[in-house]
Amino acid sequence: MSDPIEKPEFERFPLKQGKTYGLMCVVDAKSEATQIPTEKQVQAWPNALIREVLLFVVTLLVLSLVAILFDAPLEEPANPLHPPNPAKAPWYFLGLQELVSYDAFWGGIGIPGLLVVMAMAAPYLERKPGGEGVWFAPSRSAANWIFIIIMGTLGILTIIGSLFRGENWAFVVPW
Amino acid sequence: MSVQNVHASEAPDRSGEGNLLKVLPGRLWRSIFRTRIIPTNELERSKSVSDNFFFHIHSSKVTEHTLKPTTTLGLGLFTLYTFVILVITGVLLMFYYVPTVAEAYDRMLDLRGAVFFGTFLRNLHRWSAHAMVALAVAHMVRVYLTGAHKAPREFNWVVGVILLLLTLFMSFTGYLLPWDQLAYWAIVVGTAIAGYAPLVGDEMRYFLLGDFAVGGEALLRFYVLHVVVLPAVLTTFIGVHFWRIRKDGGLARPKPAPASTIPTPVLPDQAKE
Repeated sequence: MSDPIEKPEFERFPLKQGKTYGLMCVVDAKSEATQIPTEKQVQAWPNALIREVLLFVVTLLVLSLVAILFDAPLEEPANPLHPPNPAKAPWYFLGLQELVSYDAFWGGIGIPGLLVVMAMAAPYLERKPGGEGVWFAPSRSAANWIFIIIMGTLGILTIIGSLFRGENWAFVVPW
Repeated sequence: MSVQNVHASEAPDRSGEGNLLKVLPGRLWRSIFRTRIIPTNELERSKSVSDNFFFHIHSSKVTEHTLKPTTTLGLGLFTLYTFVILVITGVLLMFYYVPTVAEAYDRMLDLRGAVFFGTFLRNLHRWSAHAMVALAVAHMVRVYLTGAHKAPREFNWVVGVILLLLTLFMSFTGYLLPWDQLAYWAIVVGTAIAGYAPLVGDEMRYFLLGDFAVGGEALLRFYVLHVVVLPAVLTTFIGVHFWRIRKDGGLARPKPAPASTIPTPVLPDQAKE
């Protein structure tokens, strides 16, 4: 049997009577569309939207409950002549304030600036694909550990600054 | 079949028939939403997302992995929702607040004593603000530990870092507005840090405070930043952040199973041999 490829296409795929179309050729190659399995998808309406509305209701309920139970602090009117001791920044800056107590430039500008640059550069430095959408992917453990250590350190500094610093920024025990 | 005909087949347009008032509600609904309230088939479900200005930030279909609550913990949405609550309560608070040294603190007392639900409003704004900062950080940790910042989502991570900085600045500028001892000295300490920058430190601090010390000028600057500039910038970046999720093909997820598990289709002339 001769190789069918050698025959002209109109002989290999003759137009059948009554049909207005015919198979023109078969390409011996991998097709992107057939080799990639389809992902299981569901309609955003209602599957995603209903969950989103539910999350908003949860957020609103929890925060309303907190707002009913706990009053926002309000101290004496601002008085530039009577600084409290210690004067503390908002809690999310207390990690920085703790660092500033060791070194003003590095604590307040140097380290935070470096952290922001490192954060923005992180996805460009980590080029090996894999581990997307999975918690603690083993292939990314080094990157994850660096991140956890940095964030953990910031967290510990924030806790020290919030709870363990008293008059003149001396170390105190909160209990 | 033209586009108009597709629409017509879904929800027949009977505007020409019947009593004007009887068909008016249906016409009105169709003219605004183009789809039924409860879509009845897949095409209508898709269209109710893609035809809606507010929903079209979604693709009309999402992968099942996206909906798994253990992957995202919903942290990004929680952060957005605290911002929504902050905007609503914030606008209501603006009706009662005056950003001057003489009045700011008195207005806080008014909120507590004279304004209907004033205490609740202020509490909700305050705690939502703290929650937003904490949730934004938690969301960042979640994204990193699930590798969702990797290509092709690198730049959306950068947008996320910008959003976190804006959130911090948002919260910080709001911190001064009650003009009590807590607010005043927190901003004195916080803005002192800006002064530690080499060369431009003092200029930066002066630019932020409008003065050499925290006073009326700083209060006005922080107020304008807090209620106009930062919310506008933040809203814009939130839009970019969400739009890019769509453009990057939805939330990060593992690649589908390798192609070898899929049977190769057998072509007709191969089957013959």
